[in-house]
Amino acid sequence: MRSNELDDILREALRQEVAERSSALAGLQEHVVAELGDRRPRLRLSDWFRQLVAPSRGGRIGQVCVVGGTAAVCLLFGFFVATRLAPDPGAPALRLSPSRNPDGTQEVVFVLPALNATNVSVVGTFNSWEPTALSDEDQDGIWMASIPLPPGRYEYAFVIDGRWWGQDPLADEYVRSFGEYSSVRYVGRGGDGA
Amino acid sequence: MIGSRIRGGALLCTLFLVGTGLLAAAEIALSDFARAIQSIPVSDIQRVLTAIESGLAQEDFPAPQTLQWIERLAASPFSAQEKESLLLHTVIALENGLPVDGLVTKGLEGLARAVGAPKIEQSLKQRLILLGETRDLLIAKGIFSVAPGSPQAVATALPTPRFNLLVTHISGTVADYLEGGGSPFEGETLYREVRSRLLSLEGAILVPEDVDLALKRIEPADLTRMALCAVT
Amino acid sequence: MYRGQDEVSLLRCSLAGETEAWGEIISRYKDAVFGLCVGFLRNRADAEDITHDAFIRAYVNLRRYDLERRFSTWLFTIAANLCRNRLRYHRNHPVVELPDQIRGGPDPATVVAREDRHAHVREALTHIPYGYRAPLVLRFYNDLSYREIADILAIPEGTVKTRIHRGKAMLKQRLEECDAS
Repeated sequence: MRSNELDDILREALRQEVAERSSALAGLQEHVVAELGDRRPRLRLSDWFRQLVAPSRGGRIGQVCVVGGTAAVCLLFGFFVATRLAPDPGAPALRLSPSRNPDGTQEVVFVLPALNATNVSVVGTFNSWEPTALSDEDQDGIWMASIPLPPGRYEYAFVIDGRWWGQDPLADEYVRSFGEYSSVRYVGRGGDGA
Repeated sequence: MIGSRIRGGALLCTLFLVGTGLLAAAEIALSDFARAIQSIPVSDIQRVLTAIESGLAQEDFPAPQTLQWIERLAASPFSAQEKESLLLHTVIALENGLPVDGLVTKGLEGLARAVGAPKIEQSLKQRLILLGETRDLLIAKGIFSVAPGSPQAVATALPTPRFNLLVTHISGTVADYLEGGGSPFEGETLYREVRSRLLSLEGAILVPEDVDLALKRIEPADLTRMALCAVT
Repeated sequence: MYRGQDEVSLLRCSLAGETEAWGEIISRYKDAVFGLCVGFLRNRADAEDITHDAFIRAYVNLRRYDLERRFSTWLFTIAANLCRNRLRYHRNHPVVELPDQIRGGPDPATVVAREDRHAHVREALTHIPYGYRAPLVLRFYNDLSYREIADILAIPEGTVKTRIHRGKAMLKQRLEECDAS
């Protein structure tokens, strides 16, 4: 069967099917109109606001009062929230704060004490589970790597001399995957992805 | 003076050409996938390529990771049948317009951990079911997706990439929970897990309004129903 | 009163709460929406319900419609989303309608053959997955462009083309199997 022939048959078959069944639509508009009754289309949030500051409500002075009052409430609320959330200047910095790169990625530091290891790497969703090497340049047994990551959720594990280890103490959470643990970090949440 | 200008111009041209070449190399084409798939091999290559092609047309398709998945699958020690069966989950997801990020990264992890094909198969199968169930659930709850740039039909219509992120992370949470031995009947626990995951990503990659919308409409019983579909 | 009015005027009247104007919109689009629903759902009762619901929902949300864009695309999107919702609800209880019986009588062989063909196409369409069936219906019943279909189903235009191609291939295969048996 040629493609054009199939197109025509399909078109005719669908049209015929609807034509045969269109008696079901008898009275549809009357039923819908009756059901709608006195209803009007729902207002959007912007419509509500526009109505609120409509000139008919007290004229220009009314508009200024409504807009000004709303702005003042927002400012007060923002001030209240900001003072509640401001960091305590006396609290010591306990976490490694990641630096933000111009391209929006954050430098996420992976750290692992592995005193007798000769080879440590990290594998995860950010490198398609291919090893990225950690280094221990000062030979103190603390292995580190800093990887720029865009905001998101990343599962990973360390590979220490060929053995996978998935319970990083610095992880945000852990998951079980194929019967083993993987660690999880969230980057970009609240500006702190460490 | 003129000589230095010519040298500078030549350097700029060279840099431009190299940059363009690198850019061209960075863009993955269907032919790259075709080459990778041919070394598996699969019984219906056209079907796979059609699915990949539809994926490439989407802005949030993880092309590099998907290509890596196929290449590493091809190089794995599994039988041809096992490789094709594993690939099929990605194909079916693409055919149904489902986001494949979770499937691809889980497949890559399975290969990297050197677990057997049956274990990877089990994980991918469950995740594929959950992707479909999650999408259906969101739609049933009145949360739809619209192509970016399209007119928004109703207030709860999200651009497709944002909708897909919800699908990926809700289904991924349930999958991780089940894989970790969680009971599908613990709907409240499932809901807490989903809530925690979405809130952790809120503001980072998930729009707060989308998170709010999903958490308001999904109920623990919905997640139990989804989880049961995946385990039975 | 509203019969000869242009669509934009009808929509403006509807926005102002004139439901009779909306009734005129319904009369102009009911076949198109019903056809979409029949094609998507393959069940007449559901198609009737969803057609009714689509017009209710569209009216209630009419303020979200941008008058500068094509109204039919917006309306069909609502109907398509409602169909998808209903299909999900029915997934565990599939309702398959049998093709209509061909009336007996001394019809010319070619007419009977053509009706047979239509019945087979309708039967075959029921067995094609929704993801492939929906673009076929929008293309061959509603006569929409790939761009419009992409907007309604929220999939890329490229995907629409490949799904139509593959949907037709599935249809053709089923028809050829029918012919062979």
